[in-house]
Amino acid sequence: MGVDEPAPRRRSCLRLGRGARLLNWPLIAKRAALAVVTLALLSYVVWPWLPGLGGPQVRTVVVYGFSILGEAMNEDVFPAFELLWRQQTGERVEFILSVGASGTITNLMILGVPAEVAILSLELDAWRLVDAGVIPGPSWQELPHGGVLNRTPFIMFARPGNPKGIRSFADLAAPGVGVVHPDPLTSGGAQWAVVAAYGAALRETGDPELAHAQLLGVWQNVVAQASSARAARTQFETGFGDVLITYEQEALRDLARGRLNVELVYPRGTILSEHPVVVLERNIRPGNREVVRAFVEFLWSEEAQRMFVAHGFRSVYEELNVENPHFGYIEDGFVIADFGGWQRAKEEIVDGIWRDRVLAEVGR
Amino acid sequence: MRVQRGKTWLPVALLFLFLVPLLIMPFVAVFVFAGRGGLGAFLEVLTHPDVQFALRFSILIALITAGVNVVLGTYTAYVLTKYRFRGREALTILVSLPVAMPRVVVGTSLLLLWGPIGLIGRLLDPLGLQPMFAPAGIVLAHLFVTFPYMISSVRPVLEEMEGTYEEAAYTMGAGRWKTFLHVILPALRGGLFSGSLLTFAHSLGEFGATIMVSGNLRLRTQTAPLYIFAQFEAGNIEAANAVAAVLAVISFVLFFGLLRVTRTRRREA
Repeated sequence: MGVDEPAPRRRSCLRLGRGARLLNWPLIAKRAALAVVTLALLSYVVWPWLPGLGGPQVRTVVVYGFSILGEAMNEDVFPAFELLWRQQTGERVEFILSVGASGTITNLMILGVPAEVAILSLELDAWRLVDAGVIPGPSWQELPHGGVLNRTPFIMFARPGNPKGIRSFADLAAPGVGVVHPDPLTSGGAQWAVVAAYGAALRETGDPELAHAQLLGVWQNVVAQASSARAARTQFETGFGDVLITYEQEALRDLARGRLNVELVYPRGTILSEHPVVVLERNIRPGNREVVRAFVEFLWSEEAQRMFVAHGFRSVYEELNVENPHFGYIEDGFVIADFGGWQRAKEEIVDGIWRDRVLAEVGR
Repeated sequence: MRVQRGKTWLPVALLFLFLVPLLIMPFVAVFVFAGRGGLGAFLEVLTHPDVQFALRFSILIALITAGVNVVLGTYTAYVLTKYRFRGREALTILVSLPVAMPRVVVGTSLLLLWGPIGLIGRLLDPLGLQPMFAPAGIVLAHLFVTFPYMISSVRPVLEEMEGTYEEAAYTMGAGRWKTFLHVILPALRGGLFSGSLLTFAHSLGEFGATIMVSGNLRLRTQTAPLYIFAQFEAGNIEAANAVAAVLAVISFVLFFGLLRVTRTRRREA
């Protein structure tokens, strides 16, 4: 190919000689049809970007959220606020949510994604935003409830019928149990799970060595590490392992619809995760300040908190939590403040015990 | 090549023996899972605004990428074959490296260059220019990743082309530009066509670099592969596979077209 060129000119000569006609109608029709199809496809593709045709311009607010937040926000909280804002100001506003592992979205915000509001899995990621200079200081602490939007305890999902007989974190250490655990490197949920397994044993026995042994036992059985809590659940659902450690909230949505195909295991003691809301002042687009402020305020309204309860999150308003009959009973529920807050827990438990000792001992 | 006649069933059966588990079944799985919820659910996914945006956005990005790289790639191949200069060999290797580079690395290096805290991005940020986490960033990533495909389609033709045609054109008084337009470009048609299709197809399916530089915002910067990944991670396997099926069909049509065109061209030659 290529040596006997130029081809097009010769081809037309040939055709003239052979067919002795100037216009090749079938060919022209074919080309025209091709052109029409191409043009139609092209206009379909570029339609939204054509000026004046892409629909009315609406004010948009960009929110980044940790992995399990998608449904509650997109199905209820955003539509409710959009309606409220329209009633109050007559203006349309649209929320664009990006969900991912808490650590991943935090890294993206440090790199500069245009997030105006972030809802993180744990305060530690909010502190990383402070350290990186994305927000000037721990401004979330000035929000209602210290910035905590809602809570959910860490529990276990077992296969139907619980064939491995799992009742507690200690049972996860039994030989032959495959544990699916999100990756603490990126997932906020995974760090909660580490503190849950360690803290439950520490509070029950009072012995840091026994607590360390329990965490080690769990990690010797970890068979899959997904980037986020939601991804870990997908992994579990596609058949990996015997048990998954994750947020209670993950199960309640399906439980309420009668679609849950796992058995929930509530340990005697576990941690209740607390999810902070962070406002990224420097990213707020001109003219959005008012709507962002109103939205953040709305998050702690009774209306929004009820929606979180309906989606399986435990509200910061204790009295609303009776509205969800599916919340499980936890005998010894504890919070991160019981370990001196996240900064200390990170240093002592996640880094000091899990990363430096447990990981080395299981040889990962 | 001579077409083998006689016993064809044995080699063909052998081919299918490994193609079925390696290639054909994964494709079938995409369509099986895409259709698991029935046609209604499939169409509901495809008409969702997020999906409509993701598909259009992906095709638009692929069109831009192919359009730019047709020009840049052809020019690069032309200079690298027709001119002799110091560092030409090193440059020849360099332009084909993006194929071997992990896509994640492409994404991070673009971020560290053009991002708000990057080497150049830091200077652009005060001016209100932010290529990353915007369509421009995705195009930059795709241009980088698909750069070699155009060159590798065009270069063999340029190298094989006998200098006599060009020389003839020059002796007849044509300049470099005229020669390129009337002698070289017609010869390159096949290469240009297959190169731009390859570029388009690779851009359409690009994931690793895109997820790093796009910010993955639905209705803003979420391409079809990113949508698929997000839905799969979230456990919406039908939605993920419905979009994957559409991408598979687009790619099939593209490569079918490529095959048809190269075949007719070969017959003509």
